[in-house]
Amino acid sequence: MTTITAPKTGFAAARMERGEKVYGEGSTAVRALDLITAEFEARQFTAIMGPSGSGKSTLLHCLAGLDTLTDGEVWINEIELGSLKDKDLTLLRREKVGFVFQAFNLIPTLSARENVLLPLLIAGTKPDQEWFDQVVGILGLEDRLAHRPAELSGGEQQRVAAARALVSRPAIVFADEPSGNLDTRSAAELLDFMRRAVKEFGQTIIMVTHDPVAASYADRIVFLRDGKIVDELLKPTANSVIDRMKQLGG
Amino acid sequence: MIRIALKTFFAHKLRLTMTALSIMFGVAFIAGTFIFTDTIDKSFGDLFEDAFAGQDVIVQTATEFDVGFSGPPPLDEQVLDVVRGVPGVEAAEGQVGGFAIIYDKSGNAIVPTGPPTIGGSWTEDERLLGNVNIREGRRPEGPAEVTIDARTADDNGFAVGDTVTVQTQTGVADFELVAIVGFGEADNLAGATFAGFELATAQEVLGLGGLYSSITVVADADTTPEAVQAGIASAVPANIEAVLATDEAADQTEALQEGLSFIRTGLLVFAIVAVFVASFIIQNTFRIIVRQRQRELALFRAVGATGAQVVRTVVIEALLVALLASVAGILFGFVISQGLTAMMSSIGWDIPSTTAPLAMRTIIIGMAVGVLVTVVAALLPAMRAARIPPVAALRDTDVQLRMSDRTRSVVGLAMLAIGVGLIVAGLFGDVLDLGPLNELTAVGLGALGVFLAVSVLSSTAVKPLARVIGWPLPKLDRLTGTMALENSVRKPRRTATTASALMIGLALVTFFFIFAESIKASAGSAIEEGLRADYVISVDGFAGGFSPELANELETLPEVDTVSRLRLGFWDNQGTEDLLMAVDDATIEEAVFLDVQAGSLAGLAEGGVLVYEDAAKDNGWVVGDTIEMGFTSTGLQEVEIAGIYGAQDVVQTNYVVGLDFYDANFSGFGTDLDMVVAVKTAPDVEAATARGSIEAAAADFPNATVRDQGEYRQAQEDQVNQMLLLFNGLLFLAVIIALFGITNTLWLSVFERTREVGLLRAVGMSRWQVRRMVLWESIIVAVIGAVLGIAVGTFFGVVVTAALAGQGTDVLAVPIASIIGLVVFGAVVGVLASLAPARKAAGLNILEAITYE
Repeated sequence: MTTITAPKTGFAAARMERGEKVYGEGSTAVRALDLITAEFEARQFTAIMGPSGSGKSTLLHCLAGLDTLTDGEVWINEIELGSLKDKDLTLLRREKVGFVFQAFNLIPTLSARENVLLPLLIAGTKPDQEWFDQVVGILGLEDRLAHRPAELSGGEQQRVAAARALVSRPAIVFADEPSGNLDTRSAAELLDFMRRAVKEFGQTIIMVTHDPVAASYADRIVFLRDGKIVDELLKPTANSVIDRMKQLGG
Repeated sequence: MIRIALKTFFAHKLRLTMTALSIMFGVAFIAGTFIFTDTIDKSFGDLFEDAFAGQDVIVQTATEFDVGFSGPPPLDEQVLDVVRGVPGVEAAEGQVGGFAIIYDKSGNAIVPTGPPTIGGSWTEDERLLGNVNIREGRRPEGPAEVTIDARTADDNGFAVGDTVTVQTQTGVADFELVAIVGFGEADNLAGATFAGFELATAQEVLGLGGLYSSITVVADADTTPEAVQAGIASAVPANIEAVLATDEAADQTEALQEGLSFIRTGLLVFAIVAVFVASFIIQNTFRIIVRQRQRELALFRAVGATGAQVVRTVVIEALLVALLASVAGILFGFVISQGLTAMMSSIGWDIPSTTAPLAMRTIIIGMAVGVLVTVVAALLPAMRAARIPPVAALRDTDVQLRMSDRTRSVVGLAMLAIGVGLIVAGLFGDVLDLGPLNELTAVGLGALGVFLAVSVLSSTAVKPLARVIGWPLPKLDRLTGTMALENSVRKPRRTATTASALMIGLALVTFFFIFAESIKASAGSAIEEGLRADYVISVDGFAGGFSPELANELETLPEVDTVSRLRLGFWDNQGTEDLLMAVDDATIEEAVFLDVQAGSLAGLAEGGVLVYEDAAKDNGWVVGDTIEMGFTSTGLQEVEIAGIYGAQDVVQTNYVVGLDFYDANFSGFGTDLDMVVAVKTAPDVEAATARGSIEAAAADFPNATVRDQGEYRQAQEDQVNQMLLLFNGLLFLAVIIALFGITNTLWLSVFERTREVGLLRAVGMSRWQVRRMVLWESIIVAVIGAVLGIAVGTFFGVVVTAALAGQGTDVLAVPIASIIGLVVFGAVVGVLASLAPARKAAGLNILEAITYE
């Protein structure tokens, strides 16, 4: 696998052009994404926030190539996803994208090591041992690699998922409420690691969350409501996020 | 609760489809067996009715026993005058019947397997013809004229005016075909071929000069058949009887149906195997369904449903599936019946066509079996469901409600011990003296016990087995291979039950393989030892023979030293029909090694009988004892045991008599024919020359085949192979049901692992990789089934072969290649079973899969 060099800041790792997602038809049609145009810079940690039903998960799924837009375009690393066939989308996810979900991130029959290496095993490529060791080391998973997911704590499981998302050096990592099921301490450890991944390795991360504390780890927050981007916040803190949410809510 | 059960039933139609199919096939096999055998019964009933239609009374020699096809001894012609003189007799005519083989246009004998080849006189008096009708042409009038049945004519392209060659016991001759006849609606008599001649010709060619086989009588308009019957009975000598045609038809129908009842029993055994296999599938399905609905069922409990109500929802669902599947199964039984007819006709058993009857009994048994098996199989998972604690509704954990491994092992081992015990008791149970039927039942129940035990025990063996069987997979296909291997052992119990369903069918296939191979090997070595003759001339098929003219001709050949004839006869052995072989006491020693252990062959000339050592031992007979043998012609005879013999592989019967004894006690249909002729050539003649002249002599008798030792052995093997093919064909349905079972389990497993598959797809697994993963898993499960089946089948094969040592399986032979072939077959079953679930898994919508709750 070719090593993906992180693009310079200012370069869009992912962008959406007049993205529209409509569920249903006629009078019952629901506009989950309403003509969204957005860019997500490389080497940046972006959080997408919004109330339930604001379309934040739909936005993430469409950006990641898991879901398709009704209209508009999505680009990852200057590749337009709408033109890709299922096979190419699969390859794109395998090589260019990493995922961390809220739950059920790991294959129960595989060991932690195999779960981390999953995208590489699927591709049949050799892992970069140094990089693997580095990622696993930072996440403190060295001793847990031989264990099955059922033998790991919730925090450990999410860290394994994070390691998996990074190990193939993807252009972009998508995280959907990654700390949603974790206790405060485990959540802090995970989010701290994600921030380090951006700062130290130049990783690009887009995360959906409804938790202001989690969002405060990001470089930039995009607020969504009724399928539209309604606001943006740079260099947030937990308090500034809460304030902004209050403004938007009121 | 019923409404809830109905709702879940309709919500989960798909996952129950495969289960319903397995029930359907099981029920269909049972229903099909009944429909098929009812069809046979009905067609024979119809045919005998047709055959005796128009006749009121039959006059024939009275017999004490009626065994085999031979019929009573013939009557003198004078009896006809006596009968005609009885008041009330409108018409009476003498008939002769015997054996006649028709040759097709290229000179091959037309010999149906099973039904006889009949020759007879053509009734001149139309009042006596009944339903027999001339379809084309006119009745035979001269000595060179013949009439044949419409089926034989149609199948072989004969038309009126053609020349037809017919072999009877007096030799082979050409006749002009003057008529094609039907029997009522039917084209032939129960599959038999028929050649009819004018009376005098029939008497001559069938070797019954001046004699009648029977006299058929029709009463005048003013007299009842019963009155005529009474009148004739008082007019004829005491050794002649007059029977009502209707009684005779009923008697013959009943006798034939009884003779064929083994078909029903045999098929039912295979049907039970299919149902048994289906019960595994049903149980597994409901166990998985209960597991998947764990939270839902716990929620019922949480909102106040009782355990009994939970049981009811599951059982009602099972009941609905069972009812629908059983109805479908009974209907599908007609298809199975058709299939069985085709199968029978492929081995030469032509079943006369008639409408297939659906008896109430078929419906009741089919429904009862389908419903009972399903409900009982679903009951265990249902009861387990009732024990799900309400708190499980709140948690998404797998509630462990299984027996502990230890309990399972104890239960499994106990069942294994009982199963093996029953089999051993049944097979070696001389001590217990269970009687043959009970012995078979014990073996059958024992086999069921072993199957259940292995399925219970195998859940602990699944892991190591999967590791061994799946060993090459991770090397072949790193990730998907590893994951498939892991998936196959995630639910060892589920895998074990799924594999066990396939095990049952393949165990029986393995058993038949080993048993057949052992019979072949044993017969082979026994023939080498037992057959001293250089050539054997015999007929193919179950019965029949050829004209003694062939042996007469062979005796005149200078290349031939010895000609030894063997004839087959039926007799009544304490109420059951038994067989004997008649041999030429002067020449048998040179032709066949009988291994006489006590007494001597010399006693045969004095009318004694030789008894096979096992039969003698079972009955406690020794040389010099007298046994009672019942014959159709001569009634009960006291016969002295002249000797005990130890080799029956060539004669294949437990009793051997001399030819003179045979001639004295047998007469009628087919009894003047040679079954086997063994030939020893002169020492200084070259094999090719000798064979040439023997074959030239036999050329006039196309149904007789000349074989040397090796060919004779091969022919015996071919017969065994044919039976093997038939049995394995009947097991095919059980294997199909098992295949559905694997598909079903995989389907439900894929459904359970929806999120997992979604995750794999999300992180970049291709559809093809997902497919491969399911495919490998399926192959592992199927091959586990095959391996278990081979293990169990080998056990059965070894035990049964050992038990029957001395009765045809002295040598144990294991056909390694065939058994390896079974493993491959198992893998193929795995591939086929995986197709639908693999497609389903690969086609999962990723987004729905990962957001699926």
